[in-house]
Amino acid sequence: MSNKMLTLMMGFVAFLILAVGVVFVFALASGGDDDAASDTENGGQEKKPSNAAAGKICEGNILYVPGGEPNSLLDPIQVGDVETSEYVVEIFGGLVTLDTDLKVQPDIAKSWEVTNGGKTYTFKLRDNVVFHQGGRRVTANDVKYSIERAADPANASPTVKAYLGNIAGLKERFDNKAATISGLKVIDEQTIQIDLIEPSDYFIFELTYPVSFVVDKDQIEKNPRNWTKQPNGTGPFKLAEFTPAEKIRLVRNDRYHLGPAKLDEVVFELGGGSLLTRYENDELHVGAFPASLLDAVKGGSNPLSKDYRAVPNMATFYFNLNPTKAPFDDPKVRQAFAMSIDRENINNVLFYNALRVADGFLPPEMPGYTESVTSYKYDPAKAKQLLQESKYAGRLPRVVLSYSGSGGTPGDLLVAIQKGWEDNLGVTVELQAIDSSAFLREQRQGKFQMLSDGWSADYPDPENFLGKLFASDSPLNYSKYNNAEVDKLLQAARRETDRTKRYDLYRQAEQKIVDDASIIPTYWPVDHQVIKPCVKDYPSVSMTIPKYRYISIDPKAK
Amino acid sequence: MAPGLLGYTIRRLLWAIPVLFVISVIVFYMLRLAPGDPVDAILAKNYQEEQAQILRKKYGYDQPVHIQYIKYMNNLARGDLGISTRHRDFTASEVILPKIWVSTQIGFMALIITFALGIPVGVYAAMARGTFLDPLTISSWLALDAIPAFVMVPLVQWLFALKLGIVGLGYQGVWSSHMILPVLILSLPGVAGVARLMRASVISVLNEDYIRTARAKGLKEQTVVITHITRNALLPMITVIGLSLPGITAGALFVEQLFGIPGIGQESLAAVLAPDFDVILALVLFGSFLFVMANVVIDIVYSVVDPRIRLGAARGS
Repeated sequence: MSNKMLTLMMGFVAFLILAVGVVFVFALASGGDDDAASDTENGGQEKKPSNAAAGKICEGNILYVPGGEPNSLLDPIQVGDVETSEYVVEIFGGLVTLDTDLKVQPDIAKSWEVTNGGKTYTFKLRDNVVFHQGGRRVTANDVKYSIERAADPANASPTVKAYLGNIAGLKERFDNKAATISGLKVIDEQTIQIDLIEPSDYFIFELTYPVSFVVDKDQIEKNPRNWTKQPNGTGPFKLAEFTPAEKIRLVRNDRYHLGPAKLDEVVFELGGGSLLTRYENDELHVGAFPASLLDAVKGGSNPLSKDYRAVPNMATFYFNLNPTKAPFDDPKVRQAFAMSIDRENINNVLFYNALRVADGFLPPEMPGYTESVTSYKYDPAKAKQLLQESKYAGRLPRVVLSYSGSGGTPGDLLVAIQKGWEDNLGVTVELQAIDSSAFLREQRQGKFQMLSDGWSADYPDPENFLGKLFASDSPLNYSKYNNAEVDKLLQAARRETDRTKRYDLYRQAEQKIVDDASIIPTYWPVDHQVIKPCVKDYPSVSMTIPKYRYISIDPKAK
Repeated sequence: MAPGLLGYTIRRLLWAIPVLFVISVIVFYMLRLAPGDPVDAILAKNYQEEQAQILRKKYGYDQPVHIQYIKYMNNLARGDLGISTRHRDFTASEVILPKIWVSTQIGFMALIITFALGIPVGVYAAMARGTFLDPLTISSWLALDAIPAFVMVPLVQWLFALKLGIVGLGYQGVWSSHMILPVLILSLPGVAGVARLMRASVISVLNEDYIRTARAKGLKEQTVVITHITRNALLPMITVIGLSLPGITAGALFVEQLFGIPGIGQESLAAVLAPDFDVILALVLFGSFLFVMANVVIDIVYSVVDPRIRLGAARGS
């Protein structure tokens, strides 16, 4: 009896082993033609880089790149993160867009004029812009619908108030005091007029941010819950496939009004894995890697060194010292902390110069950047002296630096800076990792003493960094920075329509913010990439813009 | 089926209900007591109280926790695992089921290979006991066990993909040659453990009277080893196999991460970090249920294989 049972079990196991063996042999013989290939809805599918056969990746017209998992819906009004923006700017479009030099270019609009002292923007629309699905033509009513939808409080857009709050009547709509936005006027099918509360030179830049992008009213009303699974936009690419944590596949929009893309498809692989190894194995066209590998990749004998390039990232790392909490309510203590970070040395020794020392808050790629803004230089003697003169001399309370992270080690950069404070000031700062959502909550509630943080550009204007983060009335001023002098400068800058004068006002505000030392900029990051030589015209651009339509693959260039 | 077996099975499965209930209450409350919720994560730096309130209402987080729990259980009873907040368009089942399936297939392949190698290796080592071949066999497999996956993976990727060009690395479905390396990395380190258990089991069987009888009958040594020794020595392995089964559905974090496999290991980590309430809860309940089930199945298989083991005897019924 028991023997029969065992025989059965052994037989079953033997069968499974055999079955697995057979499948493996098949899999090997067919060279990775997995069952997923059976959905041959697309001819291009055959050209996937199924094997290690070198060079094959350059023969097709599909670009394979690593991608980030979207953190929000593929809905322009919900996007707040860099990962999702990357896809949304390719699928959707707005009145205006950014080119690879970060200049504003017409997109759905053909042209625009600014009147009424910078308070009225009138856009003439193109007559050949159509939605991906169904081919319906985009009119001024679609633009109006899209912006009003963004402001509808029921849709809870996290970005509309911060980025479009200057449109007259938008806040009333958002607070449910009005059913429409008074500042949006459809003049005719091809013309829309937008009235602002106060004159603004940077409003045109704000319109390049996804929240105002045009969406298809018919689709959304027909399928309000699930339309983002097949979003109908006007951008250079259409969403063909989205499998969470696996891949996003975009295919070319042949009717794109600014000229169709050269690539058939862009495949974003979300699974991660050893990106650099997979790049070397010709499975990806683009590889990204951390600064710690920089020396190995750039080394002369490494074949990867030919494909390497550094792409500046329009972003700033900084520390936020809470001026309402001891000991940082004393500016001398803040300055002492700022002066005892040896940013040059840390960058040289620890990061092979992979970062750039932030001399101010605005990154150099930002229009309006000026070298004349300076941050506190490394000066341990002066720092020590300032700490002695402060009211906390000799009786400094416990200092905790919070950062967003999931435990483990805090990373070389923070540890190196912590060591600097210890050596130069004799202060032992505790490093505390908090998981990201709790970190954001602590930051909002202003409970922290000191935070490690960063900000990256949404549109190329200094207002996006200085106005959004440090004006006391900005909804994005989550550090609760409040300085009357800075506020005055930022307000003047906001209304100033002469761009040169405006940049100068921002320069003054920036210098004051940095001098305050409650914000200590540390580094401007750089992305490290390798790109296959057969990939042509991959834009080197420091922020998220629609870029894949410029790229082509040249099989001859190896 | 033996009399009483059906009743026993039903009784054991009913016991799973209070176990899962307690687990679900604990996890449900723990998630909601921790600072930071999915709405913080969704809105991130754009957080404003107005939007947060709308979203909390949408997801039901504005209600008292016990009401949320009752609603969740109500939905669960109808087979609705809730909604993912990390993958914002998708339901929890849409997120986890395909990933559990991927991990299960890979884990199952690895498990079969582990036992298919471990059992013969163990028998061989036991038969060779007293000679240098015994420790040599076991320790050479132990060497593989001693190398962590995150050390092993880059090495084999470099060797088999870059240098030899035999296999590709990216994920292209479970049944592709790209999965050979991950499956081997998952299965080979386990061989030593199985082999050692099997070796011990074989050695204890070797001293049994019936083995002496079998040899005395003049049976060929091969027959003795396969039909008498191995079969009887396999009995304790049932527990080991049974308890490994729920584990394979949990995925393998390192291997999934390093090979970019969209499995449940990666998803679990991301869900906890996000946090993604309903996905975490669904994963915990699924895992607990499997574990309870595995124990029931092991008991049943035991009682069938060895009638001397009486089900429920321990409780004196």
